[in-house]
Amino acid sequence: MSNALAPMKLDDVRSGEQGELIQLVSFNLAQEEYGVDVLKVREIIRMPTITRVPNTPHYVEGVINLRGKVIPIINMRKRFCLADAEYDKQTRIMVMDVGGELMGFIVDAVSEVIRISSSEIQPSPAVVSSGIDQECIAGVINQAERLLVLLELEKIFTQDERQLFSNL
Amino acid sequence: MPIDCEDQELLEGFLTETTELLEKLDDDLVALEKTPSDTDLLNQIFRSIHTVKGASSFLGFDLLVRVTHKTEDVLNRLRKGELLVTPEIMDVVLEATDLVKTLVADIKGGDIVDREIDETVNKLIPLLTEQVQQPPADPVVEPIAAEVNIEPPPAAAPSAPSEPSAAAGQPTAQPEPPSPTAPLPPAVSAAPAAKKTAPPKPADNKGGDDLSDSSTVRVDVKRLDDLMNQVGELVLERNRMIQLNQDLQGGSSDQILFGEEFGKLTKRMNFVTSELQMQVLKMRMIPVEKVFKKFPRIVRSLSRDLGKEVDLQIFGEETELDRSVVDEIGDPLIHLIRNAMDHGLETPEERLAAGKPRTGTLVLAAVHEGNSIIISIKDDGRGIDTERVGRKAIEKGLITEEQLAAMSQREMFDLIFLPGFSTKDKASDLSGRGVGMDVVKTNIKKLNGLIEIKSEKGLGSEFILRLPLTLAIIQSLLVEVEGEVYSIPLSSVLETLRVDQRQFHVVGGQEVLKLRESVLPLIRLEQVFKVQPAAERDDFCYVVVIGAADKRVGLVVTRLVGQQEVAIKSLGNYLANIPGIAGSTILGDGRVTLIVDPVGMIDSGDNAAAGR
Repeated sequence: MSNALAPMKLDDVRSGEQGELIQLVSFNLAQEEYGVDVLKVREIIRMPTITRVPNTPHYVEGVINLRGKVIPIINMRKRFCLADAEYDKQTRIMVMDVGGELMGFIVDAVSEVIRISSSEIQPSPAVVSSGIDQECIAGVINQAERLLVLLELEKIFTQDERQLFSNL
Repeated sequence: MPIDCEDQELLEGFLTETTELLEKLDDDLVALEKTPSDTDLLNQIFRSIHTVKGASSFLGFDLLVRVTHKTEDVLNRLRKGELLVTPEIMDVVLEATDLVKTLVADIKGGDIVDREIDETVNKLIPLLTEQVQQPPADPVVEPIAAEVNIEPPPAAAPSAPSEPSAAAGQPTAQPEPPSPTAPLPPAVSAAPAAKKTAPPKPADNKGGDDLSDSSTVRVDVKRLDDLMNQVGELVLERNRMIQLNQDLQGGSSDQILFGEEFGKLTKRMNFVTSELQMQVLKMRMIPVEKVFKKFPRIVRSLSRDLGKEVDLQIFGEETELDRSVVDEIGDPLIHLIRNAMDHGLETPEERLAAGKPRTGTLVLAAVHEGNSIIISIKDDGRGIDTERVGRKAIEKGLITEEQLAAMSQREMFDLIFLPGFSTKDKASDLSGRGVGMDVVKTNIKKLNGLIEIKSEKGLGSEFILRLPLTLAIIQSLLVEVEGEVYSIPLSSVLETLRVDQRQFHVVGGQEVLKLRESVLPLIRLEQVFKVQPAAERDDFCYVVVIGAADKRVGLVVTRLVGQQEVAIKSLGNYLANIPGIAGSTILGDGRVTLIVDPVGMIDSGDNAAAGR
């Protein structure tokens, strides 16, 4: 992956603009584009066989075997209360590091790694796309034609949900 | 005061050795009290203390030297027959040993605390001048006093190699009395005898790993060699596999030949890996002695506190089990022993009145059975009085009269495991809070173990613990529930049945199956796990009878898939606490399968029953 790019140009750009350079992986979810910090993304894989885990919140799709490690899979559409969609050729699982643990997130498609300056991040407007909890939105990036919602994965589960997980 | 020691390695060596010696010392001291004439044992104790003293003076631990020096002097007098072994002297010696332990623990902690040692030392000092009241009646003391080196008779040979480390720097090596412990009553000698034959090897190698410090393991060199051999074989098989693949790719081998060769390779790989697995498992194994050796001391002090006479017999302490299990069973066993001493055994007077021998017997035994270890604690005390237990349970509001009336004897025994249950009216510092048995049950459950009680009023009780050998790799039964595969730990599976669903009965909203003489509550896995039902349904289904701790339920599944050895994988923090799921594992085809938690299942069965 393009992690290697990160440190290379950091200094050049930093001296040119104000604000830190951030690399984001952008992915699609119900026609919207989202971004997460590239350093949080461990790998991007195609859909494997998912084993359902009973008695979990509806957005926990199950668990998969990632080279001998069992990791939970979260359906992003369900998590954000978006309309369900069939998995297709574009569907990917983004394996990410959330608070020190690996987790997989099902997204419609992963598009690219983009570089932005932190000064481009604007605070999220009061009402963003349907259903997504405000908490995990770190900001919005407005780049020419596209609008990117920056997600902060550490906050993808609310306090209540974390509680729920540990008390299940 | 931080420890100023130049050579960290030296210090670590000292700590490991000392801890080992001290662990053994407790056991030996208690054994010595039982068999005061066992001069061999006394010498061994003396050497242990002497070694600790020597090492600590070399490293400059002054407090330690002072205590051990005085203890050594007392032991020396015992050895020379100037003093006789009495419970009072043993009390003081044991106290000193405890103090030594505390001091060593301080050193281990990296900080020497200036502890008050004078009190204990002062107790030792009078023993140094005290004159023996009567001359030693036992002639076997003679050769010891003279410190003669006598070649050990063949009968004692196995005990000789067990103490080379202690004997190394000692001029007084192995003075073996000509007639050692022969005239002892067999019951008393049982425990020390077992000790002598069993641990000679462990003492040299695997017995070295330390419970209080489980981060390092000492492994028998032979085991390591075996392991290396296995790995070598594995490498050979891998090379063979690469070769086969190359031949197939290069076209120098056809499909049929390849298939044949690959089949053979699979078999050998299977053999080598299972051997390897066994080897690694074995390295994790430690003898249950690690836990058992604390008990003579505990029993001794309890019997003195309670005024009861107890003969503790230990069998099968060489039985090995996984260290993870060993770490967990200590507490429950202590509780069970306390329980047996406090509630089970009677006072000498009561025993005599009941026509039993004055001294009660407590038998602690461990044995392997298949893939589990069975530990039993048996006393010949008064047994469990189910009537009294039932009455107390009602008094404490744990059950109702109707519930009690409907209970079988087995269920009544189970009442003692209820949290808050106690037959004592007043809590003492020993028992009566109703916590102990609950702890036992919880810990055993945690280990996926079963607990069984056998008891007869007036004759005694036996607690039987059945525990898995290891927690990392388990035998499991794969079952299919409407298309989904789940794995059930085989250690909890008691039996499987194929039954017609029409044979199920419903009692108070709970499905049950009449199984021989008993009524088995049923849990439908597809309901618990909310599985989408498959289209076609069969009247026949399978019932897997599982048991954990002291309860049994039947799990209704669609089909049995087979038995497989699986490695347990955690589900991670986020999914760690799903009811009814203990973990997950990966099958041969790479799919993840969830492992059913029998304990959770049984509890949920309880709740369902309670809720009706």
